[in-house]
Amino acid sequence: MAAGERVAVVGASGAGKSTLLGVLNGSVPPTAGSVRVLGHDPATLRGRELRRLRARTGTVHQHLELAGQLRVVHNVNAGRLASWSAARAAWSLVRPQGTGDVLGALARVGLADRAYERTDRLSGGQRQRVALARLLVQRPELVLADEPASALDPALADTALALLGELATGRGGALLACLHDPALALRHCDRVVGLVDGRVALDAPAHALTVAELEGFYGVSR
Amino acid sequence: MTAVLERPAPPAPRLRRDRRRWAWGLGALALVGWALAGSGLFTGPVLNPAGTGQVGRFLGAAVRPELGAEFLGVVAGSTLVTVAYAVLGAGLAVLIGALGAVPASRTTWGRRRTGWLLTRGGLALPRGLHEAVWGLLLVNVLGLDPWVGVLAIAVPYGAITAKVFADLLDEVPRGAYRALLAAGAGRGTAALYGLLPAAAGGLLSYSFYRLECAVRSAVVLGLVGAGGLGYQLALSFTSLRWEQVWTTVYALALLCLVADVAGRAVRRRVAAPRPGPQRDPVLTGAVLAVLALTGWAVWYLALSPAALVSERTREQVAWVASAAWPPATDGDLLAAVWAASVETVRMSVLAVAFATTGAVALAGLAARPGRPAGPGRAALGVLTRVGLLLLRAVPPPVWALVLLFVLLPGVLPGALALGVYTLGVLGRLVGEAVEEADRRPGEALRAAGAPPAARWLYGSVPALAGPVLALALYRWEVVVRDTVLVGLLGAGGIGVLLSAATSSFDWPAVTTVLVAIVLLTVAVDLVGARARAALR
Repeated sequence: MAAGERVAVVGASGAGKSTLLGVLNGSVPPTAGSVRVLGHDPATLRGRELRRLRARTGTVHQHLELAGQLRVVHNVNAGRLASWSAARAAWSLVRPQGTGDVLGALARVGLADRAYERTDRLSGGQRQRVALARLLVQRPELVLADEPASALDPALADTALALLGELATGRGGALLACLHDPALALRHCDRVVGLVDGRVALDAPAHALTVAELEGFYGVSR
Repeated sequence: MTAVLERPAPPAPRLRRDRRRWAWGLGALALVGWALAGSGLFTGPVLNPAGTGQVGRFLGAAVRPELGAEFLGVVAGSTLVTVAYAVLGAGLAVLIGALGAVPASRTTWGRRRTGWLLTRGGLALPRGLHEAVWGLLLVNVLGLDPWVGVLAIAVPYGAITAKVFADLLDEVPRGAYRALLAAGAGRGTAALYGLLPAAAGGLLSYSFYRLECAVRSAVVLGLVGAGGLGYQLALSFTSLRWEQVWTTVYALALLCLVADVAGRAVRRRVAAPRPGPQRDPVLTGAVLAVLALTGWAVWYLALSPAALVSERTREQVAWVASAAWPPATDGDLLAAVWAASVETVRMSVLAVAFATTGAVALAGLAARPGRPAGPGRAALGVLTRVGLLLLRAVPPPVWALVLLFVLLPGVLPGALALGVYTLGVLGRLVGEAVEEADRRPGEALRAAGAPPAARWLYGSVPALAGPVLALALYRWEVVVRDTVLVGLLGAGGIGVLLSAATSSFDWPAVTTVLVAIVLLTVAVDLVGARARAALR
């Protein structure tokens, strides 16, 4: 992947999309071969070095990574724990730190007024946007997104992906998103990679593909 | 960047703290501080210098317990007596519970709440007194009869079981029951077909849990003179024969361990029934074994109903009842009861604070790790779990007897004895909570490069704090009851008053102390329930 590139990964359930993201952010060790992420191999790094690399890689899941019992502001702040001391992280739970950035990030996903609510009181779509705000606060160079728009209505899905793309490419980074919706993939990404049973079955620039072709691809893999 | 949502800027949201939770949290901290301040830890000597020599001899005997054939025979016989008490006590309790559940359940009374409230209130009295207290009272009425041990377990356990059984029945979804009523079935038949099958697993599981607890209670009852392993332990202790003490301690720890492991295995099988129409052979075997044990226990203890209705018993009950009323109300006694109650609360608070702190500190080690771990980590985990198992295998009064060697009587030895035992229980429960917790928030933080402390604070603590505090509060209610027990052995608190009053046959004073104990446990239950509600 080149800097500034936005890549969509498509494929049926179980094709290996989430595993790919896991290998890239270092939470799944590769069974064979090696990967280079931002110039480093996560498998060879330890401790602080590994954490520094991970802080530069932002992953957004399907909002399941949020702690439901915490207020929204803390879940957003959780994106920058890598750069906070333990004491600051603890104190922030009593008196939220850096609320300016948090409110700014929440405003960009349209949730500024919910900053101090408990996260499990929000709807699925709202929680997904909290996960996006966490990423905005983390400011990673490589953005890995696992179905970032699955619980959002079409208009919000578009803004969410635009946001992710801008976040990644605006700072010279890249975006890798697993998507179920072919139209969304073509609108927001430069390149589409299709996976079938863990192998790359398709790799083409987005402008050379049509929605119908991609739907056919889903049909094949199912 | 295009604006995401074109809306007039909303007013900046403000952080509103949950006042109720803060009040409870600060209140709990203040309570622990108050208990610490009153523990004598900072105000005077707590160590007993005279006892250090004995401690050396006592600890030295740990590696050479008495293994003579004669003494081993005595210990084996005592173990059987303890098992017999436990089985009969628990069996009778389940019987009382099954009968008592009918008037104690909301289903029976429907909208008429008076009868339900009266039954529940009536159950609070037997429930509020510890088995050992019942044992002490029954010894004075029945003399040294095996019924003492059996009834001392059956009465309080029966009351608890009735309440829990009634709750289990009330929690079953009403659909099937209502459908049967609508089809013209009587209420009894409808309950039999619509409620019991759904509740059966819970009832069976709880019965086994009671049996498991009864083993521990039977050991403890021996310490107040009801015979069995605890009695043997007390005999060896008072004659300073440490080798024998250790043999008995090993035997009772083993017995409690077996009960703990077997009980949990059975309850796990009830909770996760095997597919298919056949009965689970292990479960059927366990039920049959317990029934056979019950028959054997009646024969082994030579239990005869005649002792309960004999002329002597009737006279004794009448005499104690007339002597015990009205309760003593002189100022000196009331002041002593008040001071002892305060000491009891301090002791229980310290014990729970100690156990909770320890359990949280050990939770990471006690829980089986989610991802494959190295051999060092695995060994440390096994070591921690076995250590916790040993802590809870030895009942608190035994810990108290040991600690009274080195510590002067007062709040501290009792608090430590209860704290060590409760740490064994809470450590396991908190470890299980950690195992069952959702790991995804923590994993996501790891993927974002958060250091371990922050990962713990933002990934694990939010989900675990509520359940762990609720467990601690529940254990506090249990510990307050156990405080009376360690007091009976001289560790301080209200139990000391009770044992003094009973040994001098001062029945009016006994009544006063019993009323104080019941009030204390009811008050702690209420505070615990309110605090748990604030956590939700």
